[in-house]
Amino acid sequence: MKPNRVFYGALCLLTLLLSARAVADGQVVDRVYHPYVLANEHRLEWRFMSRQTSEENYLAQRVGFGHSVNENWILELYLIGERDEQGNFGLEAYELEARWMMTEQGQYWADWGMVFEVEKRHGQNQWEVASGLVMEKEFDRNSLTLNWFMIYEWGENIHDELESEFRVQYRYRWMPQVQPSIEFYSGENYIGLGPALMGLQRFDGQKQLKWELGFITELSNIGKDHTLRFVLEYEF
Amino acid sequence: MTKPKAAAVIYILMLFACLMSHTARAALPEYTLILKNHLFYPQVVDVPAGKKVRLVIENQDAEPEEFDSFDLNREKVLFPGRRTVIYVGPLEPGIYDFFGEFHPNQAKGQIRAVTEGQPDVD
Repeated sequence: MKPNRVFYGALCLLTLLLSARAVADGQVVDRVYHPYVLANEHRLEWRFMSRQTSEENYLAQRVGFGHSVNENWILELYLIGERDEQGNFGLEAYELEARWMMTEQGQYWADWGMVFEVEKRHGQNQWEVASGLVMEKEFDRNSLTLNWFMIYEWGENIHDELESEFRVQYRYRWMPQVQPSIEFYSGENYIGLGPALMGLQRFDGQKQLKWELGFITELSNIGKDHTLRFVLEYEF
Repeated sequence: MTKPKAAAVIYILMLFACLMSHTARAALPEYTLILKNHLFYPQVVDVPAGKKVRLVIENQDAEPEEFDSFDLNREKVLFPGRRTVIYVGPLEPGIYDFFGEFHPNQAKGQIRAVTEGQPDVD
């Protein structure tokens, strides 16, 4: 390995670790993004997340449609539903997401990508923009993936603030249908860790169904705080 | 400087550092495959174990194909009339299957990662 790669690798790792306890007041557990984009791809996605604490259950779901515009970019539009304080579930936000595959898979020491998101709360003048740096490194049949998001939110009835979130996934690519992993999530007042599974089943051509299932336990507080998340994604 | 602002500065520095670290490009061993009539030629490619290599696949068919390999952890669209580069490895000695998703029964092949002087990976 060249000395400059060692230096930059060390710098990247150091900055990621320093940022691991940054500010975030939303739901930190979400999916861990991978830095890859496949051309000619369409996708339908359903994400589910249920967070159970001693006091309440927070439920959020989102459905999305994505389309890769070329070999390096994919756009995805989401409708986000959440359960409100009265216990009613309804549409809460819209989000437009763009993912950029910055490097070819396997070309460099690690693979890099970025995620850009714009979210607007339904019926309210509240906005959020996010930029996420995504890195993945292969070790034989193992993959280590890091996500680091910087998020800025503003609008009526919320504090304008800059937040940061950090996600890590260590995955063993055992077989296409079953790939166990460990996931780590961090934001202010939240550090979560837990097991997850992901996999895929291929059908004809580009058609395939991907799934993810994770159970994340909050570590930094004494009280009960578990999050169940899953993702179903149909690519065609 | 507040902690979020400091994090933002570090974030930008890290992004810059990561982009800079990718400017150098080392020469890699290159292996060329042809996709014609939904068949890969050659169907078996020997590459050195423990080294990263470039697979250059030329799709001579009139329609796209999708290179897919769980063993190699690669998935890439092969556009018609184009040469597509796929970076593979470093690989442990062994056999790694790949196929074309649109013609999985025809477009099949193997990468054999072999140690120098020990061509038998079975």
